[in-house]
Amino acid sequence: MANPSPLLDFDVAALAQKLRAKEISPVELTEAYLDRIEAVDERIASYITVTADAARAMARDAEKEIAGGKWRGPFHGVPIGLKDLCYTKGVLTTGGSKILGEFVPNHDSTVWTRLSAAGAVLLGKLNLHEFAYGATTNNPHWGACRNPYDLERIPGGSSGGSGAAIVARTAAATIGTDTGGSIRIPAACCGCVGLKQTWSRVSRYGVMPLSDSLDHTGPITRTARDAALMLNVIAGYDPNDATSSREPVPDYTGRLGGDLKGMRVGVIRELNTGISPPVARAFAAAQKQLTSLGAAVEEVSIPSLVEGALVTMVVLMAEALEFHEQWIRERPGDYGADVRSLIETSMTITAVNYIRAQRERNLMLAEALNALQDHAVLLAPSQATAAPKIGDGSYDMIANMVRFTGPFNATGQPVVSIPTGLSDEGLPLSMQIIGKPFDEVAVLQVADAYERARGPLPLPKI
Amino acid sequence: MAKLTANTAKAMARELYGYELSDESAAEVAAAAGAMITRSRKLGNLDLSGVQPPFGYPTLIAEAERIRKRG
Repeated sequence: MANPSPLLDFDVAALAQKLRAKEISPVELTEAYLDRIEAVDERIASYITVTADAARAMARDAEKEIAGGKWRGPFHGVPIGLKDLCYTKGVLTTGGSKILGEFVPNHDSTVWTRLSAAGAVLLGKLNLHEFAYGATTNNPHWGACRNPYDLERIPGGSSGGSGAAIVARTAAATIGTDTGGSIRIPAACCGCVGLKQTWSRVSRYGVMPLSDSLDHTGPITRTARDAALMLNVIAGYDPNDATSSREPVPDYTGRLGGDLKGMRVGVIRELNTGISPPVARAFAAAQKQLTSLGAAVEEVSIPSLVEGALVTMVVLMAEALEFHEQWIRERPGDYGADVRSLIETSMTITAVNYIRAQRERNLMLAEALNALQDHAVLLAPSQATAAPKIGDGSYDMIANMVRFTGPFNATGQPVVSIPTGLSDEGLPLSMQIIGKPFDEVAVLQVADAYERARGPLPLPKI
Repeated sequence: MAKLTANTAKAMARELYGYELSDESAAEVAAAAGAMITRSRKLGNLDLSGVQPPFGYPTLIAEAERIRKRG
């Protein structure tokens, strides 16, 4: 097998400089990524659909524009992947399902409209847990996506293809979605950066829903800076999404590159329990690193988070059932067993409990805002352990994963998952940095400062 | 733990959703739902008096306008 092209080593920030300076061409860059996909993707299944010819055409257009002096911004000519939940006009969009196995949308999702306008090159549509309704991306219809650090382990989910593509270098940046943790869990399992921004910050138009009041669409990238660059492109009000926020969009790179002097950071006590020793050690080391950068790190308490996963799951399951009700009646056998079981179990959720869970979200956010009165950001582990093995039926996804991530779908706060190191077995470990609603700038500032101090992590040997 | 039998789960799915659960699925649903119902009782013990659900009228207006313009 040929060594991967050195062009794959550059993150989006570095690519932007080199592409703009015409040191590299979008065409050679795209070809390098397509070669990489061909070399490794049979083993990791990060893609459902590779749009090679279209990607080459987009790359040629980008090359022509850049040569002619028209520069669209940092994503001009950059090859990316989109989770196959995001509509792409004229391109198969399956939702990771059999039911939509032949569905071709007649319009783009807003996230793709904006990235396309920014000059990004679409390599293809990324694998996911069926209908985004799970955390393993062990997809029975399109192939089990595998963790590039250990092919016998899950990449996390539901945006497993998006996370795997980053560390396997089959895309320079990706888009995922997050309803109970589906950006942050694959980012944690695969050792890359996943940003679930504030709910309503990024349009959900043209993205298949799982649970409307909990769904977020956001970046999975190599670095915090790349996530900020991507959020700059995709954030902002969209008249096609009535829930999208009219809150002004700042420059999310505005506070990157500095230290954390004078910043107070709160470690959430209720989520700093029931974690494996490797996760605990890496999390403690990360807190020390933040202290060395000038932050004051101390414990905070948010008691309502103890039932945060329950609140999230009651809302999620009830809303997902509403979306799937007709299909489950007409085509139950076309669902994977795990997703079908979740939909069936949802039939027992009462309207009263759904409303109570929705109201409880306010209390959870109130407590979090209280903690954030005196702290710029909060910290918690991303999950209790490193990635489990594919098919491990004894692994409790709720207790080990959703317990940490789900509460912040309920509160809608911005959260980034960022790697804290590798375990003794060479598996990624991560933590979450959680901010006030619409304060992605602070979250990314802390993530960026920590990442630069931590230094690069070894890539998987694939 | 809340007792939900497979037969009850089957009846609920059939009567409320027109959906036939297999015997195996009904047993799984009964077990999973029983645990969930037990934990959901904690929601009933919360003091939620005066707490609004996060449903905003501005969103209703914006969505109605979007539908109106779409024709």
